[in-house]
Amino acid sequence: MTHSPPLDSLLWRRFTWRHWKNAPVSSGLLLGIVALGVGVFFAVRLANRSAVAEFQNFTDVLTTESDGLIVAPAGMLPESVLGELRRGLEDDAVRMISVLESTATRPRMSESETIGSRSTYTLLGVDLIALQNLAGERPQDRRWFGQSGASPSGDASPGIASAADPDLWTLFRDPRSAFISEAQARREGLKVGDELPLVIQERVVSVRVAGIIPADPSRPRAPAHLMVFDLPALQRLTDATGRLSRVEFLMEEGPGRAERWAAVRATLERLSSEGRETPRWRVSSPAERRSSADKMTRAFRLNLTILSLLALLVGLYLIFQALDGAVVRRRDEIAILRSLGMPPSALRRAWLLESAMLGLLGGLLGLGLGWIGAQGAVRLVSRTVNALYFSSAADAASLSLFEALLALGASVLTCLLAGWIPAKAAASIPPAQVLARSQGIRPEGLSMPRRLAVVLGLGAVGGLGCLLPPLRLEGGGRFSLAAYAVALVWVLGAGLLGGAVLERLARALAGLGRHGVAWRLALSHLRTPSSRHRLAVAGLVCAVAMTAGMAILVGSFDLTMRGWIQRTFQADLYVSSDGAQSASTENRISPTTWQAVAAHPAVARAQIVQAARLQLPIGETLLVGADLAFFREFARPAWIAAPTDDTVFDATRNVSLALVSEAFSERFRVRRGDQIELPTPGGLHSVTIAGIFSDYGNERGSLLVDRGHFSRWFGDELASSLILVLRPGFDVETVRSELRAAHPGLAVFTQSYLRTEALRIFRQTFSITYALELIGVVVAVAGLGFTLMSLLWERRDELATLRTLGMRRGELAAAAVCEGVVTAVAGVGVGLVASLALGWLLIHRVNRQTFGWTLETHWPWAQMGLLAVLILGAAILTGWGVGFRGARIPAEREE
Amino acid sequence: MTQSSDTESAAPVLAVREVCKSYEGRPVLREVSFDLQRGERLALTGPSGSGKTTLLNCLGGVDRPDSGSIRVGQRSLDGLDADELAEYRRRWVGTIFQFFHLLPTLTAAENVELPLQLIGEPYEPRQLRLAALLERVGVSHRSHAFPSELSGGERQRVAIARALAHRPELLLADEPTGNLDSQNGANILQLLCELTDETGVALVLVTHSPEAAAICHREIRLRDGRIDSAGTATNPGAAFASPRVSAP
Repeated sequence: MTHSPPLDSLLWRRFTWRHWKNAPVSSGLLLGIVALGVGVFFAVRLANRSAVAEFQNFTDVLTTESDGLIVAPAGMLPESVLGELRRGLEDDAVRMISVLESTATRPRMSESETIGSRSTYTLLGVDLIALQNLAGERPQDRRWFGQSGASPSGDASPGIASAADPDLWTLFRDPRSAFISEAQARREGLKVGDELPLVIQERVVSVRVAGIIPADPSRPRAPAHLMVFDLPALQRLTDATGRLSRVEFLMEEGPGRAERWAAVRATLERLSSEGRETPRWRVSSPAERRSSADKMTRAFRLNLTILSLLALLVGLYLIFQALDGAVVRRRDEIAILRSLGMPPSALRRAWLLESAMLGLLGGLLGLGLGWIGAQGAVRLVSRTVNALYFSSAADAASLSLFEALLALGASVLTCLLAGWIPAKAAASIPPAQVLARSQGIRPEGLSMPRRLAVVLGLGAVGGLGCLLPPLRLEGGGRFSLAAYAVALVWVLGAGLLGGAVLERLARALAGLGRHGVAWRLALSHLRTPSSRHRLAVAGLVCAVAMTAGMAILVGSFDLTMRGWIQRTFQADLYVSSDGAQSASTENRISPTTWQAVAAHPAVARAQIVQAARLQLPIGETLLVGADLAFFREFARPAWIAAPTDDTVFDATRNVSLALVSEAFSERFRVRRGDQIELPTPGGLHSVTIAGIFSDYGNERGSLLVDRGHFSRWFGDELASSLILVLRPGFDVETVRSELRAAHPGLAVFTQSYLRTEALRIFRQTFSITYALELIGVVVAVAGLGFTLMSLLWERRDELATLRTLGMRRGELAAAAVCEGVVTAVAGVGVGLVASLALGWLLIHRVNRQTFGWTLETHWPWAQMGLLAVLILGAAILTGWGVGFRGARIPAEREE
Repeated sequence: MTQSSDTESAAPVLAVREVCKSYEGRPVLREVSFDLQRGERLALTGPSGSGKTTLLNCLGGVDRPDSGSIRVGQRSLDGLDADELAEYRRRWVGTIFQFFHLLPTLTAAENVELPLQLIGEPYEPRQLRLAALLERVGVSHRSHAFPSELSGGERQRVAIARALAHRPELLLADEPTGNLDSQNGANILQLLCELTDETGVALVLVTHSPEAAAICHREIRLRDGRIDSAGTATNPGAAFASPRVSAP
């Protein structure tokens, strides 16, 4: 007896596979759609992961990862703590590594370079002698000067400078010596002994390559932007003599290491608070520090992931349309199989198997596309992370098995979801249904009153959802979960409403049927729209609502930003270190330099701005020291809550007063009149919030105090920037050139240049949004095309009848155009109305809750009109193309 | 070649000359020739695969012969392009199908109105013509019903009204009673008889049914694509005899 193959295998080999093979173009297109959706999702996930992975201590590329570290709550640690720590930890077998971290960039190549166009290097200062000694005691650590250590695997680990075999003292004779990574050496063609000009603080310094950190498979790869200096050298270069960014602790190898570290940690915490009102440092582990980066950017990354999921969602929509169309095309075949005794369950499985295979193959293709895309996306994400959160110079995304499996799983799941209804439809085709040539028109889905009731219900649920607060994430991040859910609910409701509007519209336009056969036929199909029509309308509603909603948000942002930029940049010249390429930069201007700049004969008034990161209980924020009266006069803040009197602007009376940005107020949930404790190196200071101003510079918030108090609290005079007002009669450009010539390490911008640049950078951050919007619109129109094609396949007998009655191909295509246009009008109309609600939601809920920014509302009617015209135009072209092609579909009776 | 017996002197409405057609090298029609006069009813019979439907498709301009010629009135179908054939179908030919093929989303009236819209008939005369036709075929009370709401007999009446709406010269019917019960089938045959007599339209009726063939003046039997036999009925449509009137 021969064993018959299982039905599933038979269906796959003899039917599904052959259909794929016989239609390579449409099979390829379908795989391409899946791959694109998965690719976008995977690329964004990889880019996110890589940008955040950039946040590390870097010392782990030099030595074994430390067990813990201490950092100051604000500013830097004084080097004097080392002695105290040594005394306090006398009995504990623990090594200390002092670290100073700073930033630098290459000098600008031309005056026309835009802000942020140069990448930032991370400068790491460590005590190389201590590291050398450590390596002598611990064979697993890399030796620094010409010798070799042994890696944990027992292999020899090359010394860091072994290639040049330099004399140890050469390094110390030349404090400009630095070690660079292999990646940087390869990328920039550098070798030992080469000179590399860098902007450190506000000075151009020629750094000499003393050695190249070799790749060590047992350690994290040294990133291309990392440069290692000897600690005292970097302290001198960055005006940070006697200061440290952090101290790291390395426990001796051996049993009970975790317990020993716990004991050391307890000691460190005790020492930190001993005899002090406020702790002098915070103790954490490298994992906790990495996790804080993760928390800091979680809201940002969640928003990006949601955007990337849209690509999968639209993929799902298209795959559904395509699989549904395939059911229509293969209806006869299915009917024959049914009449031969094929059980419906086997047909359902065959369809689901096809969906899963589509997901698997498309997903695999998408992983490749995504990996390529991630290499580009990582720069975009890293640029934003760099500007808003911390120094990240990730320029390549590495593969992650977890992310790959997640994307592949999402792909298969999406395709299975998309195939579910078509699978049910395929399994429910009885042979009799195919034989019945003339089927009646049956209203599908909910009745009109029920549909409207559901729409109203969804609208009301959304309205209630708007009242919910954002989800508070660790680290002070906020995520508008409820607002996103409301957006989904409203889009769903609008989609449902779209179907109802289509029906009403077709009935209202019925009179057009008198004037032409094309209208008569199109409207006859739309007055009782099928589920396919409704889905196509819902797709268009969704795309238009999201696109126009985003246009409203971006338009409002643009309007607000233009106003803010106009108000904020009122002075004549803006000066910063030329190395300051992002918000996370550490480059400062020394008092000697800023005093020289302020003393320029053209300068009437100078605002010296100092800034430091400040760790508050909820999360990190920015403390700014400036002349508050100057701030009021030349930054003209828009007040969310204006100060009740002028005390805060009087440097002699404002020691316990501060101004905070709106983002700060939202993030830390404080209002005017509230008090905040500021842990500074000079002790704990309590300030009262005197006013809250609009600020769109960062979403972590900022807190302004008078600069006199700031420099006293922090014990330094290093400036982040200078704002200059010139005396009348001096030419701004001439003064700018003079300052640039006198201080090549400074960037000097005019008011108009900075206004333009600020707007450019702002608009650049929305570029990814525009790309996603375009994808949404293209997909919705393509979905309409799929719908029309499926409908024409379904109506192939009808088309044959119409041909027999003498209709030309062009006339049949015109009927498809009319059907497409009326469908698109319903979708665009409802979509635009829904976009008003969505725009409001994005501005007043999502944006306000996530970033804490109040925006002026702007309705971009012209853009919305253009969108409508574009979609209608695309619908006409799609309808014509599909109709012209569909007019030739052979009827069943002709086959 | 077969000639019409009693109207030799008049110019034929339909003249088919030595029409041949094959599919993938397999001959389906071989040198088929015949004429049809105004008001004449011709039955095309023969076993399955004999070429009846192919011949009907060639007459209707939805298929083209490989050789030979077809003339309808003064018009030759030879060399017409797709648009010209469509124009021919919409003006000069009416078609009735076994499965009615009414457009399911149009009402009965809209289905009948469709050919009139295709030839650009103005709205007012179109409505008058529509009302008269629906009245004539006996479904005026169902004019707003959709096909799914009509019985089989009603559907075919609507289909006949649609086929005649634009006053064609040639009516092609493919098994018009094949999907009806005997009573409804007889009623439809009677209606066809009456209407062809009233309008003077020439009818080519493809059928397997002796009852249907019996209403025709002549019968051509096809076998393997050739005319196997041709004959003249003694008393065509006797059962439904009606006075000959001029076209409405």
